[in-house]
Amino acid sequence: MYQNNQRGAALRYSNKMELLIIDNLRKGFKKHKVRAVDDVSFSVFKGEVLGLVGESGCGKSTLAKLVLRLLGADKGSIFYKGKDLFNISHNDMRKTRKDLQIIFQDPYASLDPRMKIGKVIEEVYDIYKNVSENNRKSKTIELLETVGLGETYLNRLPSELSGGERQRVGIARALATDPEFIICDEPVSSLDISVQAQILNLLIELQKRKNLTYLFISHDLGVIGSICDRVMVMQSGKLIESGSCENVFKNPQHQYTKTLLESALLR
Amino acid sequence: MLLHIKNLKINYKSDNRPVEVVRGIDLDIDKGECVGLIGESGCGKTTAGLGITKLIPERKGNISAGEILFEGRDVLKLTSEELRCIRGKKISYVFQEPFSSLNPVFTIYEQMRESLEEKDNPDSRIAEILKSVGLEKIIDRKNIYPHELSGGMQQRAMIGMAIAPRPNLLVLDEPTTALDVTVQRQILDLIMELKNKMSLAILFISHDLRIVFNIADKVAIMYAGKIIECGPKEKIVSSPAHPYTIGLIDSIPSLKHRKKLFNAIGGRAPLFSELPEGCKFYPRCRFRIDKCSEKEPELKDVSGGQASRCIRTISAELRSATPIKWNY
Repeated sequence: MYQNNQRGAALRYSNKMELLIIDNLRKGFKKHKVRAVDDVSFSVFKGEVLGLVGESGCGKSTLAKLVLRLLGADKGSIFYKGKDLFNISHNDMRKTRKDLQIIFQDPYASLDPRMKIGKVIEEVYDIYKNVSENNRKSKTIELLETVGLGETYLNRLPSELSGGERQRVGIARALATDPEFIICDEPVSSLDISVQAQILNLLIELQKRKNLTYLFISHDLGVIGSICDRVMVMQSGKLIESGSCENVFKNPQHQYTKTLLESALLR
Repeated sequence: MLLHIKNLKINYKSDNRPVEVVRGIDLDIDKGECVGLIGESGCGKTTAGLGITKLIPERKGNISAGEILFEGRDVLKLTSEELRCIRGKKISYVFQEPFSSLNPVFTIYEQMRESLEEKDNPDSRIAEILKSVGLEKIIDRKNIYPHELSGGMQQRAMIGMAIAPRPNLLVLDEPTTALDVTVQRQILDLIMELKNKMSLAILFISHDLRIVFNIADKVAIMYAGKIIECGPKEKIVSSPAHPYTIGLIDSIPSLKHRKKLFNAIGGRAPLFSELPEGCKFYPRCRFRIDKCSEKEPELKDVSGGQASRCIRTISAELRSATPIKWNY
């Protein structure tokens, strides 16, 4: 059975470019007696931006952590490029993580306050050994320039940066491994609307330029509509609706999706 | 006129010299009117809201100039005794994080009772208030504590406490920012309902234009401590005059966007200690001309009650002809 799944996933990757396949994934938290992720299945295709929308506590971030194996699942499987992430060695998982990166919501909490920006990024090379000693500095500067910062930021501390600039550092750090797939977990939710537009522009540009694949998590339908190709709606651990942004926003089927659309302040 | 603010200036103390974060704002609020104050974080909007009842702690800063007429009396000239009769009674506040505004060791009932104007026989009045903010469910549960309520219910309780003394002006500072969209919608509906029922005047402070455009009658946009554009909501939405307002409106995400880049505002908001000469927005402005750096423009009338602090007239043709300098 397992062999079949593995082979099937490999085929689905090579034939249909299903980069990430999530199959019947489940995760419960005993203490709270809830299933945060309840038999969720979906695929992410190479080069697309897949949105995941839902309210706080619906299990969006738990799902993100499961995909990166930062949390263990109770049941189900995850295939990345046809590889079963629950059945690979520690070493292979580390190699896979190079391809799979994440950008977190809170740019204040996700940076070490005592680490200079240059070091934040160079730490990634220490872990993945993907950059030679001579190229470290030039690669770091290049990354900072890619995200709209520059060499002058190398020796700054996170406390000297605004929220938007910190989020740019978070993006540069995710790009430091040259990933193919990035999970964006509410990357613009704590930002002001003007900064939010800048960061969304940056993420859209990067995605097009580097042909990246995003799983983009947000509670804001406007943000999802601005950047995503497809969208999935999640409610209490379950995926209740999915489809192209166009279809879901024009013809929502599920009552909850309709409520979300009515509540959202859209123009 | 219920509230008339004229040339309000507020300083914060800092290591070397005081920093002026509210640099002279004028604002009028009529009875039963909702005025939205929009601005990015750190533009001075919260400070301006607190300044209305002199809520800036003395060790932190002070109001250095201006006039705040509330019901005809100058708030800045009142004694602390007289101020106490206004704060929380005539003018009440609701802040962003309901949980940090509520006291965790007292029940909702006890905190509600404290906010009433007449203390005897509080039960019927509390029941009435809870009902008006949609908390019928907890009327009979006197021993319920804040942590037992959801974020939305906590914010309803906060609004209940704010309206309990029958204030004339409600200052709402980002009241829905910490809430989910569906809950946000409910809270906004509740605020509108209360406003109409009690003919409350509201000062609604937020960074989110979408919310303000939804709820306000009049809108003022703040940048670097000054109001750069104000006017009736419909005018601002349909024909914004200041480049900053235009940039903000262009930054609103929408379902129709489809991976098209935003006409975003480049750069970052200046620090108060490093404000540029002349127009404070010009280094980030895509419509700037040399003259912009000479002198800070005055707020001048555009049309129909709309005013803008910009020396240029930004027509639709100019907008489409001027390239976006920075996308991100």
